[in-house]
Amino acid sequence: MIGKEGSVRLLMGNESVARGAVEAGVGVVIGYPGTPSSEVISTLAPCAEELGIKVEWAVNEKVAFDVAAGAALAGCRCLVTMKSAGLNVAFDSIISVAYGDVNGGLVIYVADDPAVHAGMEEQDSRFFTKVSMLPMIDVFDPQDAKDAVVEAFDYSERFKIPIFVRSTSRVAHMRCGVKFGPVRSSVREVGFQRDIRRFTRASPVWCMEQHTRLNEKVEKMKPHFESSRFNELHMPENNAGVGVIASGVSWNYLHEVVALHNLVELATLRIGTVNPLPEKLIHAFIDKVDRILVLEELEPYVELHVKAMIADAGKNVRVYGKKDGTLRRVGEYNYDVVERALGKLLGTELAERNPELDKIRDEAIKVAPRRPLPFCPGCPHRATYTAMRQALRELGYGEGEAIITGDIGCTILGMHPPFNMCWTEVSMGASIGLACGLRYAGIDKPIIATIGDSTFFHAGIPPTINTAWNDTNIVIAVLDNRITAMTGHQPSPSSGYTATGAETEPIEIERILEASGIKKVRVVDPYDLQHTKEAFIAALKERGPSAVVLRRMCSLVARRRGLLGTPSVVDPERCTACLLCLRTLSCPAMSVSEDGKMVIDPSTCTGCGVCAQICPFDAITAWRQKD
Amino acid sequence: MIKEYNILIASVGGQGGITLARILSNAAQSQGLKVRVGETLGMAQRGGPVQSHVRFGEDVYGPMIPKGRSDVLLSLEPAEALRVVRYIGKRTTTIMNTSPTLPIPVILNEATYPDPARITSILERIGGRVYSIDAVELAREAGSLRSMNVVMLGAYVSLGEPILTLDTIEESLATSLPSRYLEQNIRALKIGLEKMKELISEA
Ligand SMILES: Cc1ncc(C[n+]2csc(CCOP(=O)(O)OP(=O)(O)O)c2C)c(N)n1
Ligand code: SF4
Ligand code: SF4
Repeated sequence: MIGKEGSVRLLMGNESVARGAVEAGVGVVIGYPGTPSSEVISTLAPCAEELGIKVEWAVNEKVAFDVAAGAALAGCRCLVTMKSAGLNVAFDSIISVAYGDVNGGLVIYVADDPAVHAGMEEQDSRFFTKVSMLPMIDVFDPQDAKDAVVEAFDYSERFKIPIFVRSTSRVAHMRCGVKFGPVRSSVREVGFQRDIRRFTRASPVWCMEQHTRLNEKVEKMKPHFESSRFNELHMPENNAGVGVIASGVSWNYLHEVVALHNLVELATLRIGTVNPLPEKLIHAFIDKVDRILVLEELEPYVELHVKAMIADAGKNVRVYGKKDGTLRRVGEYNYDVVERALGKLLGTELAERNPELDKIRDEAIKVAPRRPLPFCPGCPHRATYTAMRQALRELGYGEGEAIITGDIGCTILGMHPPFNMCWTEVSMGASIGLACGLRYAGIDKPIIATIGDSTFFHAGIPPTINTAWNDTNIVIAVLDNRITAMTGHQPSPSSGYTATGAETEPIEIERILEASGIKKVRVVDPYDLQHTKEAFIAALKERGPSAVVLRRMCSLVARRRGLLGTPSVVDPERCTACLLCLRTLSCPAMSVSEDGKMVIDPSTCTGCGVCAQICPFDAITAWRQKD
Repeated sequence: MIKEYNILIASVGGQGGITLARILSNAAQSQGLKVRVGETLGMAQRGGPVQSHVRFGEDVYGPMIPKGRSDVLLSLEPAEALRVVRYIGKRTTTIMNTSPTLPIPVILNEATYPDPARITSILERIGGRVYSIDAVELAREAGSLRSMNVVMLGAYVSLGEPILTLDTIEESLATSLPSRYLEQNIRALKIGLEKMKELISEA
């Protein structure tokens, strides 16, 4: 991140966003982890001190945005980062801050995920601009992302308005050469003047004043955005009335098809400023063409606008896009999708077809064995779900009887075989509310909500209080592996350190549970199957709400810190080849030797010792992992 | 001037596919080529399938290789080659590590792992030449299983593709990986290189 002006480096989109913030003289960078947005903060955190900026993982996206908004009120430049789902969490504040003024630039970086590489919905965050009015730049590659962040800070400060920079997984994780620009100082004069007419929302008169001013700001920005480098119109002299409009990563695919097929006569328009849209450019475009293709992943955002403009102008332009079925709203685009769509627009087949080859390809894919994501070797969650199942069995509940509402994170992997435990996954913290609702509906079987530590801090506390307050009979199981594992091991409040590595006192979940009114809280080490099972049995027998905290560090983190125990060993004399351990745990360190007996790979085994507790023949020797 | 050149790396998390992509792309960047790399990073750290698309050339814009247009496929795991057949075509030369990383359902006997000969024959029906090397065994010879990806890199260099030179790749190895492993990695590179030379001369 610390590099000379003019140098060119291969950067990932998210690293480039980070560099852009540094060049813009950012003072505070804050967010909550979420693929594909997390690398902005993980790139900046190690050099925060050297750069003299504040870099922080917040407890959730709303808190992150609030902190940034506060700093921006005082004149500091702030970047907030989140994945698309996080925008929903932060939006309550975003829509309100939009009404006031920001004194320092405030940029919200949101990364969407067409084709669901990381999990959660295929949300098209561009539509949030319609609800909040806020400006947005939709970027297409890492260089563009950096340029957009730098300029978004300037626009934001000049018009005193938060601005979105939006990318998608393919842009966020793409690498290309990025040219470094000059770095501005992050040292600024700060101050904040009390002005409740601008900074509170309670009076309807003031609020409507603010709303009016918001609309005026966006109107004033329009010409600046319109002529910015984020829109690009190319109208060749010899164009035959055919054009393509592209937004986001599709702009790359379009370029590539144009280059390969030498489509130099094609009119093209890139729309980077998705709000406010470059209406003059669009008008200039639809004036000259009678057939256009609109390339944008997910929803027909640009397409609908362009169609409305065509109708308003009384023009007769045929639009190829999602509405006529040329392109899909689901999944991501690529070269081939764009080539096919262009072929349709041009009325010629551009792609070479080879159905025979495609048939072999389809078969080949079917031959590839599935590779479901397992828990890592020694994952504490594996032990938790194993003990939970033992407890349910002992209470007489067979497979599929008790309902387990899962939550987001590695904790949800308990839905896969051989565990088959989790039934639902909705959104951060939803496992607890869902469990209560199932109980209210009249389900009389055990109901357990499983949730990770980071998710609990993020959105699990209000539903916990709700459960205690209304005395709902469910079990809340907090799988406290001391980290935000699924998204790449960012610290959580229970980790004992912050984004930059500063040490803190771990915030213990049992104290929150107790303070929330949950009277029966048990804390166990899931590696100890017997005690964990007993804790679940006791919790399930409780009449009101109860909780179990499963405390054990994520085994990947333990490995990195050199905290692993001695690998477990199978005694082939004792092993009867029953493979109960394998079928119960499916630990990746296990495999089967030629004589059908269990072997444990010593370089993969973490020495968690859980398998030794499963083996009915004492064939596995385990030395328990250090604490 | 190179218009379009595509290397596809198929691996499972932990095999070093992403590092391999980093070494190749840094080498290309240092040779002044226009580079684009696209990756599916989501499940990398936890043993899921990982694909890296390393692309260079003037006409390259997108982060992913168009259908059938890989010039080279480096498959660090045999069955993973099958998952990326979309990107394989007549122009694709494949180098495949023959040591499998078995998925859980296969270990549990709930799924079957395809026979290596079958994988090769499928790849040959779709694409060009397929070279199979036991990169895990060769890495063991080189002194560490971790350098399996660099053995594959050595094999790639042996193909004699005129774009990335051995010099820039060695340089990139030195800058992309921790220096304490450099000697070890150069050894792995050479072993891969020699093994591939043998295979090519046998062919
Ligand atoms: C609103 C929202 N923000 C972020 C994410 C991304 N995300 C997925 S899982 C997860 C947290 C996982 O941490 P934890 O609850 O501690 O469980 P673990 O993975 O450690 O088992 C996050 C942040 C999301 N899905 N939704
Ligand atoms: S990353 Fe950690 S929490 Fe996630 S599956 Fe692996 S060991 Fe378990
Ligand atoms: S002790 Fe057993 S369950 Fe734990 S990591 Fe080793 S093989 Fe897997």
